[in-house]
Amino acid sequence: MSDLEAPAGSQMKKPMVVAEGVWKSFGRIDVLRGIDLHVDHGNVFCLVGPSGSGKSTFLRCINRLETIDAGRLSVAGDLIGYREKGDRLHEMTEKDIAAQRREIGMVFQRFNLFPHMTALQNVMEAPIKVRRLSKKESRERAQQLLDRVGLGDKTHLYPNQLSGGQQQRVAIARALAMEPKLMLFDEPTSALDPELVGEVLDVMRQLAQDGMTMIVVTHEMGFAREVGDALVFIDDGLVVESGHPRDVIGNPQHERTKAFLSKVL
Amino acid sequence: MTQPVKNERVRPDPIRAVPVRHPGRWVAIVAIGVLAAMLVNSVLTNRGWDWSFQGQYAFSEPVLRGVVTTLWLTVVAMVVGLVLGVVLAVMRLSPNPVVSSAAWMYVWVFRGTPVLVQLVIWANIAALYKSISLGIPFGEAFFTFNTATLIPNAVAAILGLGLNEAAYMAEIVRGGILSVDEGQGEAASALGMKRTQTMRRIVLPQAMRVIVPPTGNETISMLKTTSLVSVVPYYELFFNAQVIGNRTFQPFPMLIMASIWYLSITSVLMVGQYYIERRYARGSVRSLPPTPLQRLRSRLGGRGRDRGRATPLAVGASALPMDGSTPHE
Repeated sequence: MSDLEAPAGSQMKKPMVVAEGVWKSFGRIDVLRGIDLHVDHGNVFCLVGPSGSGKSTFLRCINRLETIDAGRLSVAGDLIGYREKGDRLHEMTEKDIAAQRREIGMVFQRFNLFPHMTALQNVMEAPIKVRRLSKKESRERAQQLLDRVGLGDKTHLYPNQLSGGQQQRVAIARALAMEPKLMLFDEPTSALDPELVGEVLDVMRQLAQDGMTMIVVTHEMGFAREVGDALVFIDDGLVVESGHPRDVIGNPQHERTKAFLSKVL
Repeated sequence: MTQPVKNERVRPDPIRAVPVRHPGRWVAIVAIGVLAAMLVNSVLTNRGWDWSFQGQYAFSEPVLRGVVTTLWLTVVAMVVGLVLGVVLAVMRLSPNPVVSSAAWMYVWVFRGTPVLVQLVIWANIAALYKSISLGIPFGEAFFTFNTATLIPNAVAAILGLGLNEAAYMAEIVRGGILSVDEGQGEAASALGMKRTQTMRRIVLPQAMRVIVPPTGNETISMLKTTSLVSVVPYYELFFNAQVIGNRTFQPFPMLIMASIWYLSITSVLMVGQYYIERRYARGSVRSLPPTPLQRLRSRLGGRGRDRGRATPLAVGASALPMDGSTPHE
């Protein structure tokens, strides 16, 4: 963890995620009103804000679970959902979108494990069906990943036989099985009992140490301050304040940020 | 303030209360008992039932042939209905409005007209279209078939039953698919799975839990509906039983015999349905309900101690994994 300094301008690699003026509306309601941000390689990027501020919607736009209405959104230099030919954008086919998504792991607030499969089968499924791995290879990898999240002895259990924290750790292992270059976390601990939050955050902390690029929508300010490399406060579809988590949380500049933080801290 | 909690309670004697009396139950038992006795008496003494005559024909060649026909008609019509029903349900949920309207139209027509009428129409389709051709639409025909030979009575029966069933199955399957949480599809998409993969591997297996029970009903219903194909005409159990009844001037015993056959087969189907439902309950219930065999064994084997423990454990274990004895069949 040596490069904790603010994102260096002289970074060789392009940023992992770049958003420029991302705009999204549901019917008449503008949920995102021009989001600009960039997420560097290997960073843990925290999105915070009140509910309804659009932070989850923005996260879902990154792997095109939602489409954006205006602006540009790219991951690892590739536009999400569109191909640029000359100065025109062409919509991607379902196949190409699926190919983009497999590079981006996602962890949901409500886990969304497949209830008819065991923990091991949940992790094995996508590598077999999408990456065309052999069953044997996929099983070994799944076992390793479940060991890594501390559930090596629960592989044969179905999701409803696991606690919420265990389910969320299986969900993280499932996303990692696709070897994504970016991980999205949509309030991963919000549906958990307080005493189970820690075990999920531990796994995420480990992941951050291993150098995974992560975008995390969270209300866990302690986690953001400790693990985060950058933090953005979003309200009403706009970026209100951004910077290093220590600075934004410790010394917020904007009134709206102060009011929000005083409630969640 | 906080005191150490003492954990030295002795288990008290269980409550011994005088149970509530249920006089209504006794009245019902007597009334039903009398009615049952009357029924048994009439069944045994009224010569009209003519059990020996029924027994004489129950396993005769035409009746068995009818049973076999009834069975395969049921199976084939259900397979047609199920396959076409799944296709229609997926079409109905398609984002393409033309495709989904086409599926809606199909269901509208085939569910909105009596299956008896549909059967007669298929039987007489040759009157409407003398020949059926394969070729360019509105243009040249390459092959031409005589409708009457292309659609013999067996095919007319299958078309009538199967296409009608598909309309019902489409609605059942659609309901099942809609019952699956949206997050499941999102999770699969986020992993890079395509729409068809998601449907086949993630959504449909979960929808099965909702689809199976009504499909069992449909199968039982289909078994009985096959008796309508005598209008095609096609010779199945009911038709053959009636023929024997008319020939021997003993129609009534033959009707009863056919009913007993139908009842026996539906009973077997009900057992099958129980096991299929049990299989698709995996992952949705914490422990599977026991099979009748397991239930019998547990009742004969561990009494008292085990039975007393079962309920409180099941209630208290909400977030804990099971002890490993129950999850897998």
